[in-house]
Amino acid sequence: MTYESIFNIANGAAGLAWVCLIFLPRWKQTDMAILLALIPALSFAYSALVFVYFFTVQGGGFGSIAEVRQLFLSDPVLVAGWIHYLAFDLFVGLWIAREADSQGISRIIQAPLLAATFLFGPLGLLLFHIIKAGKTLAAPIPERTQS
Amino acid sequence: MTLAAFSTEPVRSVPGLQMSRHQTAAALALGAMLFCAALLPVTGAAYLMDGRLVNGINVWTKPLKFELSLAVHFLTLALMLGLLKKEARDSRLVRWTIYAAAASCVAEIGYIALQSARGRASHFNADTPIEAALYNIMGVGALILTIAPIVVGIQIWRNGRADIGSGLKRGAVLGLALGGIATIVTAGFLSSSFIVETGRWMNGVRNDANGIPLMGWSGTGGDLRVPHFFALHLMQALPVLGLMADRWAKGRERAIVFAGVTVWIALVAGTFVQALNGNPFIAWG
Repeated sequence: MTYESIFNIANGAAGLAWVCLIFLPRWKQTDMAILLALIPALSFAYSALVFVYFFTVQGGGFGSIAEVRQLFLSDPVLVAGWIHYLAFDLFVGLWIAREADSQGISRIIQAPLLAATFLFGPLGLLLFHIIKAGKTLAAPIPERTQS
Repeated sequence: MTLAAFSTEPVRSVPGLQMSRHQTAAALALGAMLFCAALLPVTGAAYLMDGRLVNGINVWTKPLKFELSLAVHFLTLALMLGLLKKEARDSRLVRWTIYAAAASCVAEIGYIALQSARGRASHFNADTPIEAALYNIMGVGALILTIAPIVVGIQIWRNGRADIGSGLKRGAVLGLALGGIATIVTAGFLSSSFIVETGRWMNGVRNDANGIPLMGWSGTGGDLRVPHFFALHLMQALPVLGLMADRWAKGRERAIVFAGVTVWIALVAGTFVQALNGNPFIAWG
């Protein structure tokens, strides 16, 4: 299997999960499939790639821009890094969806939040926190003290 | 399984993640076993993908073997702890013994896997001062891992449950204690500095390629890992033999377990002498 095909499979699977998360009804089975099958599978692929290739990169490391750039010049480590994004963004997206559901945030509002998380990870998380805070502040006082 | 991981409640409310004084030694031993077992598939995938060699064999062979071996070791410890009376199982001695062993396990596996990822040897590696120091520290960890079954074995002898069969009890006590001691002797000799020049190889080709299938032992000369292997697995063989004696040979458990000890120790001693004399376990390649 080439790194290109690992990349394509991981990208496709993650993209499908995001479509489910944004557009489909919140089925427990989809959540479970993402949490207990897809994210672990991505983590598995990441781990194996990093185990084998991380230390093969001469001058690679996390300590400086030059070291990180060196890491990403290696195709397998680049694919591993991309899978890292995919897995963690998806985990955060799933967490946002669950939290938003329990806070009673509408799916219409959730959709752009999740899309932002899909495309720009931390941006979506930041927006979610702001919206959650705004919702709490806007809530009537008795409800606020309750939660 | 639920989405408990997403709960906003404190982590301590998640069952299984509690690290309080109520954490039993057996649960911790199972945790160490799961740590090793969880790494097996990832290491297996790395084995299939990696082309690098150490001593002529795949760099991931060693972590695979250690993960499998330590998973078996901690499963054994967890099961054997079940033979103790509750007070003994929850005693400070037993709990701290298992804590120390589990911590050693994580450190050993962590370093062995790290060195494989780096494409370097973990044991018998004195190329840099840090690697030499870590090799020595690994020796301490291995000693703790081997003392743990001795402690548990002695505890079963002194504070074992009254409702277990005499064959199982005798097999567990002798298997754990003698298995631990025999392992310290064989592994200690294997790793000790006065033969570090030759490592585990006695005579024969100093390379791991073309070893005996599955086990990887040298087929051309003595290999001290053979008696080490048999010493370790006294810890499983004897309790199982005792259990079988309880079931199918009531009244003769004592004789059967003692016969088993004698045969197995002879096997350890025989393969030890064989390796020291530079002869392979089975001539191969």
